[in-house]
Amino acid sequence: MSVFVVVIKELKQFRRDPRSLIMIAMIPLIVMVLFGIGYGGEKGKVNIGIVNLDKEALSWTLIDSIMKVKDLNIKAYGNSIEEGRKLIEDGKVSAVIVIPSGFTYGIIRNSSVQLLVIVDESIPTMSSMIKSSILYVTYKFQEELSLKAQGNFIEIIYNSVYGPTVTNIEAFTPLVMGIVLQLVPTTLISIAICREKEKGTFEQLIMSPISKFDIIFGKFIAFFIATIANMLITLLVAIYVFNVSIKGSIIDAMLISTLFLIGSLGLGMLISVLSRNQLQANQAAIFVFIPALLFSGTFVPIDMLSYFAKIIANLTPMYYFTSAFRDIMIRGASIWDVSWQTLVLTIYVILMLAIALKTLKLRVD
Amino acid sequence: MEYAIEISGLTKKFGDFIAVDHLDLKVYKGEIFGLLGPNGAGKTTTIRMLCGLMAPTEGSIKILGYNIPEQRNEAIRKIGYMAQRFSLYEDLTVYENMEFYGKLYGLKESLLRERILKLLDFLELSEFKDRLAGKLSGGMKQRLALGVALIHNPSLLILDEPTAGVDPSLRRAFWNYFRSLNKEGTTILVTTHYMDEAENCDRIGLMSKGKLIAIGSPRELKRKAFGGDVIELKIKGDINSLPLKILETRKENDITIVRAVLNDISKELPNIFNLLDSYNIKLISVEPINISLEEVFIKLLGEIP
Repeated sequence: MSVFVVVIKELKQFRRDPRSLIMIAMIPLIVMVLFGIGYGGEKGKVNIGIVNLDKEALSWTLIDSIMKVKDLNIKAYGNSIEEGRKLIEDGKVSAVIVIPSGFTYGIIRNSSVQLLVIVDESIPTMSSMIKSSILYVTYKFQEELSLKAQGNFIEIIYNSVYGPTVTNIEAFTPLVMGIVLQLVPTTLISIAICREKEKGTFEQLIMSPISKFDIIFGKFIAFFIATIANMLITLLVAIYVFNVSIKGSIIDAMLISTLFLIGSLGLGMLISVLSRNQLQANQAAIFVFIPALLFSGTFVPIDMLSYFAKIIANLTPMYYFTSAFRDIMIRGASIWDVSWQTLVLTIYVILMLAIALKTLKLRVD
Repeated sequence: MEYAIEISGLTKKFGDFIAVDHLDLKVYKGEIFGLLGPNGAGKTTTIRMLCGLMAPTEGSIKILGYNIPEQRNEAIRKIGYMAQRFSLYEDLTVYENMEFYGKLYGLKESLLRERILKLLDFLELSEFKDRLAGKLSGGMKQRLALGVALIHNPSLLILDEPTAGVDPSLRRAFWNYFRSLNKEGTTILVTTHYMDEAENCDRIGLMSKGKLIAIGSPRELKRKAFGGDVIELKIKGDINSLPLKILETRKENDITIVRAVLNDISKELPNIFNLLDSYNIKLISVEPINISLEEVFIKLLGEIP
């Protein structure tokens, strides 16, 4: 099988290319360490406001519970939702918790009650932290109450799934995985074919009885074998160096990561087929990386993006990967729970490779 | 099937530029055919179209009976190709490069090993077999490239400037390789811009500006350029009345050196003494001149409107 001949040859060349080896080993470490330094360690306190429209006994109990949370600092009180909103607009607080009238009555009557949480979403990292802290508070509050009144529950609007135990580095792990698994494989494989064209080796190669399939998949498999190390290194560093916990199955996390890795390789392969030289390929790899990074939903929630940016976000595989990985890691979802993202990524892989196969010409024009 | 290569009306345009202009060419099986011409004459473009590496704008190509590009996959297994630019993997060793290509041609492990060692020996590369191709000298790289071109024992070798930038002794070695391969029945199409090398070819095609301006054996081309065989006479006397086709004359003291053309040297040369004698010209010496192909080429090029 010619395809394996190509695999072996590519792997040999890999071993002798120090740049590729450095990329495989160092980029995951560097990205992880940068994020670890930037987002690890102690969290700061967040200023919040309270609007109590209930003013009955249990509302004060809830406020007491909030005051006990070390992440939150009640800085101001408001008398209406409008006032609360103004507190955020003026930059005095990052979030306002509105306790609606009938809060206490509702709990006593054993019916569900709601809490409205208005969050300043301009700093998403902070907003997610606030959401998780408030969840934690209501959870504790309910736990205390349930001793007296079983079966009560509080519904929070902005029902963030992140529990209060999620550290920042954990919140960023899906993004880090996304960065590493797109940047490294795409950049590396993007030169696979155009390097041969640039160096002239392509001319000799296509004078042998080799098919487009052999060239594309031979290189693809070799780069897959080499870059699978990326995924493992990133995951291991996250788990063992930064104590990131994966709530779902590690196998599922690896499966979705592998699928995304294959997609990134497919994208890089297409870039390589379309590029005239290595420089062009590298630039293209970076070019496609930037929107993927910005619109991955980690810096700014997708919902808050403009209509146009939302479309772009929905076109980047990074978005599907980070959301699926986040679900598996933080929510404890299984690969079946993220089947939509899995399907999109699978279609993406097939599409990239099909276009690459279709576009590659065994010519030197 | 007597032709290894049959091209008719082959044309390649790059925008407004016509690189190859309605080229007709036939190369016989078993010959060494040299495609000559200055850089930019269209040699490489022609070769690339022959190999199906480039799509022709017009014209038809048949190689070893296969239509190009339709039957390229069949033809390619019988062609050994050496590109103008070194096009092997610099980060693979000599042996690994040959092994890679051998395996692509489907050669079995043991057979391949034997074949590689034989070729390395033939090309005097045995002691460098584990050296990275990138660390080879220019001449060794060229020999390796020839080795790769020969790995599958092709019946047609297509070599694009195989001796460019190679020192004269290696150039001679290369032509020895070519001749011994040719003796074993390999047809060789070679391009070069070294005119002296072209003397080694059975036939030559001269290319200029995308056109084939002359074709034939070196001797035929020389005769074509000057209308016959060239001789050099050293004489004493007046030559103006001589019934000879005179190319040039120059004087050295009282001796006149004349270059003249004979239609048929074998018949006319023995009579030259009598001829001169009848004109009262004293002949000091006469010899046939081996004019260089370079002169031929310049002459033929000069005749192009």
